[in-house]
Amino acid sequence: MSRYEVNVLLYRLKKDPAFRGRFRDDARAALSAALLTDEEREAFVRWDARRLNELGGSLHLLISIPGLGGH
Amino acid sequence: MGKVVYAAAMSHVLYPDYYEKNVGPHGRAMVEELIAVVRDMGRDLLAARPDALVVIADDHLNVFSFDAIPALCVRIGRSVERMVQDDAIEFDRALDGLPQRYPLHEDLANRILEEGMEAGFDFTASWSAPLDHAFLSPVSTLCGAQPAPPLVPFWVNCFVSPQPTARRCYAAGRHIARVVGEGPWRVAVIATGGLSHFPELSLARVGTSDVAFDRRLVDLMESGDHETLCALTTKELDLTGSHEFLNWMVLMGVVGPVSARVRFFGEMGRIDLAALEWETA
Repeated sequence: MSRYEVNVLLYRLKKDPAFRGRFRDDARAALSAALLTDEEREAFVRWDARRLNELGGSLHLLISIPGLGGH
Repeated sequence: MGKVVYAAAMSHVLYPDYYEKNVGPHGRAMVEELIAVVRDMGRDLLAARPDALVVIADDHLNVFSFDAIPALCVRIGRSVERMVQDDAIEFDRALDGLPQRYPLHEDLANRILEEGMEAGFDFTASWSAPLDHAFLSPVSTLCGAQPAPPLVPFWVNCFVSPQPTARRCYAAGRHIARVVGEGPWRVAVIATGGLSHFPELSLARVGTSDVAFDRRLVDLMESGDHETLCALTTKELDLTGSHEFLNWMVLMGVVGPVSARVRFFGEMGRIDLAALEWETA
């Protein structure tokens, strides 16, 4: 379940520029409705791509989110 | 009676800027060398006058989402679009400036799908999936300024576990060969991706390849030892970063156990680049 939640959010960050903008402005607020564990949420908020990858986040999504990817 | 008139497989990020950025000048130089080889291969492909070009490749979570990931998917319909991604990373900037729409070979795609279902392959059908670099970077390099033959895009789930097995991918290729053999068309087939990179899909391991494993794969392809290749496990493909070799397994199923000819093999460190061709009867 958590793997799904993490990846749905990563996919949305890649594909939805408006959501990406809200996430950049205030990550915690943008994720308020997401069903994440505390650990997953903190990894998103501090944008710890390696930790998100360890938590099941897709490598290809993590490296391809405009402005947040790169490797 | 139809026949496979050209068969090859090749790495699919044919974009020098990507390797310049991530590897440096020697990465750029190596992929430029590969691009020149693939252009040569394209001359052979087009000289074979194919009625259709089957392209076996994978999705990078560009097209399919975690809502549903097809194991094996046939693109049907009349035409297919190039994926458009705002602010795309380098992989997909390779598509900038390419035609927006490509014709499909609807009859061949439908036969692969429908006869596949009859034969026990539960293929997914897509009417709308666009094509990312895995398809269009090789196709555009092969065809150059010439129009691409009508395409039959065929996706393999290489990256989201659980993936189909190497043996199942090979069997899907045997099925495609049967459909081609029973039809009226001259068909070219390519598989794309690889060789090893992104082991375990781990961000911490990005930048490393498994040269020894890749040399072994190339040896097995050169000797036509498809049984050993079919026995490759999902786990070893993952550990070595050889996820996209599943596309190549479908291609080898299409051509059957014949020897491959190596047109290019380059060890870059981040990835091993390769291009191989198979004799077609």
